[in-house]
Amino acid sequence: MIEASSINKTVNTSAGSLCILDDINLAVAEGEALAIVGPSGSGKSTLLGILAGLDLPSSGQVKINGEDLTTMDEEGRAAIRARYVGFVFQSFHLLPSLTALENVALPLELRGDRDALVMATEYLQRVGLGERLSHYPRQLSGGEQQRVALARAFASQPKILFADEPTGNLDTATGEAINDLLFQLNAEAGTTLVLVTHEQVLANRCHRRITLQAGCIVDTETAGRVAAG
Amino acid sequence: MMALKLLWRSWRGGQLGLVFSALVMAVVVVTSVALLADRVERALVKESSHFLAADAQVRSSREMPTEWQAEAQQRGLETANVALFASMVYSGDYNHLASVKVVEPNYPLRGLLTLSDTPFSTDVAEMQQLDHGPAPGEVWVDSRLLPLLNMSLGDSLEVGEVRLRASRVIVEEPDRGGSFSLFGARVLMNWNDLAASGVIQPGSRVNYRLLLAGEDALLKDYLGWLEPQLAVHDRLLSPDEAQAGLADTLTQGRRFLLLAGSLGVVLAGIALALASRHFAEGQTSTVALLKSWGVSASRVRQLYGQQVLLLGVIGSLLGLLLGWLIHEVLIVLVRELLPVMLPTPGWRPWFTGIATGLLSLLGFALPALWHLPSLSPLAVLRRDVSLHPVGVVKRLLIGVAMVALLLLWYSQNLAMGLAVLCGLALTAATVMGPGWLLLRQLNRLGARVGSVWRLALSNLWRRRIQSLVLLAGFAGAMAILMTLVMIRTTLLEEWRWQLAEDAPNHFLVNVAPYELQGVEKLLADNDLTTVGWYAMVRGRITLIDGETPSEELIDQNEALRRELNLSWTEELPQGNAVEEGLWWPQIEGFAERYGEGVAPLSIEEDLAEEIGVTLGSRLTFSVGGLTFDGVVTSIRSLNWDTMTPNFYILFPEGYLEKFPRIFMTSLYLPPEQKAFVNDLLSQFPTVLVIELDMVIDRIRTMVSQVTHGLELMTLLILGCGVLVMLAAVKLSMSERLQESAVLRTLGSTGKRILAIQSLEFGVLGGLAGLLAASGAELALFLLQQRMFEAPFGLHWELWVVGPLVGALLVASLGVAYTRRSITQPPLQVLSNL
Repeated sequence: MIEASSINKTVNTSAGSLCILDDINLAVAEGEALAIVGPSGSGKSTLLGILAGLDLPSSGQVKINGEDLTTMDEEGRAAIRARYVGFVFQSFHLLPSLTALENVALPLELRGDRDALVMATEYLQRVGLGERLSHYPRQLSGGEQQRVALARAFASQPKILFADEPTGNLDTATGEAINDLLFQLNAEAGTTLVLVTHEQVLANRCHRRITLQAGCIVDTETAGRVAAG
Repeated sequence: MMALKLLWRSWRGGQLGLVFSALVMAVVVVTSVALLADRVERALVKESSHFLAADAQVRSSREMPTEWQAEAQQRGLETANVALFASMVYSGDYNHLASVKVVEPNYPLRGLLTLSDTPFSTDVAEMQQLDHGPAPGEVWVDSRLLPLLNMSLGDSLEVGEVRLRASRVIVEEPDRGGSFSLFGARVLMNWNDLAASGVIQPGSRVNYRLLLAGEDALLKDYLGWLEPQLAVHDRLLSPDEAQAGLADTLTQGRRFLLLAGSLGVVLAGIALALASRHFAEGQTSTVALLKSWGVSASRVRQLYGQQVLLLGVIGSLLGLLLGWLIHEVLIVLVRELLPVMLPTPGWRPWFTGIATGLLSLLGFALPALWHLPSLSPLAVLRRDVSLHPVGVVKRLLIGVAMVALLLLWYSQNLAMGLAVLCGLALTAATVMGPGWLLLRQLNRLGARVGSVWRLALSNLWRRRIQSLVLLAGFAGAMAILMTLVMIRTTLLEEWRWQLAEDAPNHFLVNVAPYELQGVEKLLADNDLTTVGWYAMVRGRITLIDGETPSEELIDQNEALRRELNLSWTEELPQGNAVEEGLWWPQIEGFAERYGEGVAPLSIEEDLAEEIGVTLGSRLTFSVGGLTFDGVVTSIRSLNWDTMTPNFYILFPEGYLEKFPRIFMTSLYLPPEQKAFVNDLLSQFPTVLVIELDMVIDRIRTMVSQVTHGLELMTLLILGCGVLVMLAAVKLSMSERLQESAVLRTLGSTGKRILAIQSLEFGVLGGLAGLLAASGAELALFLLQQRMFEAPFGLHWELWVVGPLVGALLVASLGVAYTRRSITQPPLQVLSNL
């Protein structure tokens, strides 16, 4: 589903050129759940951005479903994202002026779905927020906001879901509940999942885990003990 | 529609409130100003159409083709023929060279004739107002004709070959206006009696007029048809041209209204630009999110473009509605002062309102949002993704260009547009440079004083960019307001001066030398003083530079067709200014150069231009059959508003005294002494009294209407300025709230924070007031020099009131907002940010 080969990312800083990713090669199969772990500053989020087509590598190639993102312009990559990609963010990124229902429905409305509100309602019910459709983000707890974000991500039925520290802003108990929900929805939809986290528990639930350190993959673990859902 | 949905959600979330209100404000100000201006102007034009007794008038020295009238009638216009000529009228053994006016029965088409059955009566109860002329066989006459012909009302008089009964006296004729050339007493007769009178013979000097009235559009179409057919001896008169003084009043009024309107838009534009920037900042995460979902840049542009357009249309429509309401309120407030019903407005004010809304968004809001579509979707993951908004300089230039465009559009006057723009630009420059220095200096000063001051002043310096922007906003708004207030007072002062309470309101003309003493005695007995007596000789220009003027030139210039009043004086009269050449004492070697008997002369600039005369031109005059030459040695400009006798052509003493002369003067006659006119005319029936008080009253009424409209509109602009300040304060408020919350968390008391913030705002407002005073002074200088031709003096009041009002206003606004942060628990403030 995703193929990355010889990915390098360097940025220019006042102290000179800084290598963030160094010769990353990886492939994610359809339906696979991949965890990217590593300490802060190891390049996890940068790699996620590149794999999702939000950013370009300095060199190397990224393909989603066989289509090379690195040869496309931003409009081309946008089209790919629209077709294949969904996101869940650490800071939820809910729009404050929209209700829970409208937040979930927005991406569907943007792509012209006539039954956007019906679908959004359905997904909100699935994440347990059927009673809170008309609540604004400020009226919801952190965990509830992330549930809305999950509903929004799955409602558009992406082929690949990129999750950036989805429980990073939540307390342990709430985080676990969200994790459960994430994997449950993922299993139901058969979505390919790429997850950035530094929580071992969460990483352990993925099919495969790669560890980044200073921009390099230092470890790849395809543990049989990894359990999904 | 997606854009509408997004717009509604943004509105609901409170993100658009400022943008929307700034937009509505711009449209409201312009629409209310434009509506009122349009309607007042239409009222004035209608009122002034009374001066024409019609909406438009064609004048000709020849009989006009009958199809002109037929075509007008066919197009649904009302028409009336009028002919004016001088003719001897007789009653028994007496005769008088009367000024005869022959009218069709439906004359006047606009305005009313005021008549009386009692000659010389000043009692309003005895007067009747009629909208038609005399019946066949009847004439209506000036009261003074009766003693001149030794007759009474009801007696007959002869006009040519017909005998007509003088049935009433004329008190006021709508279109008698300022034409002082017709010296005889008026005889108003019916058009059907004209042929029988046989007074018009080939070669007779007759002034024909075709009066036209009807709906604007019909009239405009007709005039479009007529104008190409007009020959050199035909002249079309619109109300604007009917009275030069009135036209000036109209022009000044229109300019002021438009100036006020455009300044309102500039204020609203500043608010709109600030609010849009704030809105754009809030939209960054939304756009990043949309783009992460694969919404393309072009779709983002489309979505935001549509939102801006929708916002523009909705805001403009609401602005039109509110503008209409506000202008109705203005009208209701001054209804007492508006004796005339205001006509319904045309389409132009509505169009101006809508266009202002859309153009304001284009110039002020769109640049702030322009970068959003190109925002990197990576911003959803990283906060450090750099944004590339349209640069401040570029946005400033676009804003300035839009302001310039709007100013030019409103004023249709390059000088005025540029003057306002320069004032603004200079205010901005005066703010950015010195403002920075002042803030730095204050910060240094603050380090040496108490902690409240230190914190307040260091806050200003720390946020110097923001302070400077606020300073520019405040100073700009205040400069505009101060300029406006000063212009209003200056302009009105000028108007009041032009129509001073004791301005001469009567002209006495045609006083023979032997009557002078008697008239002077009568004046003295009544405690009346004149502006001084002017002797004049009536003469005709026969040759210019030794040649007879061309037929065309004569046709175009009444001054070449009639006798002019020539006068002489050693001193340059008041209200006269030599524009070219030299006044008498400075002329040297004139007699040597041109020979004895040739007179130096001074000519009025417009007449000189019309008849093609320059310095050194030689004019030949015929006075009672005798001719003499004069050479132009100076060209004068005249102030016609002084209501004192003015002369097109003046000579020094010693040249005209040999000719028969008459005298004229002007004087102020208080209303309670109006009966003096009757005494004068019964004793000196050949003296002509021109009663300007009637004309002045009419103009004063109009000026008072306009003045009150202007004052209220200025209040609207003032309110607009205050709202801009509110917007600017609100924009910086989130940061201020945050700081206040942090300070409170660290243990500062609410009182202390209030003191810091009051000081901070107060100092900012004071500085803004100071800088605004300099900007306003400069704008005033330019405006007064270029537009209102008023002398420039330093306005000290600006420098006192500006900083004081600025400090109080900004501090109170700031405190009103910051109080919220003190009453709310700090945690709540912080979590809401």
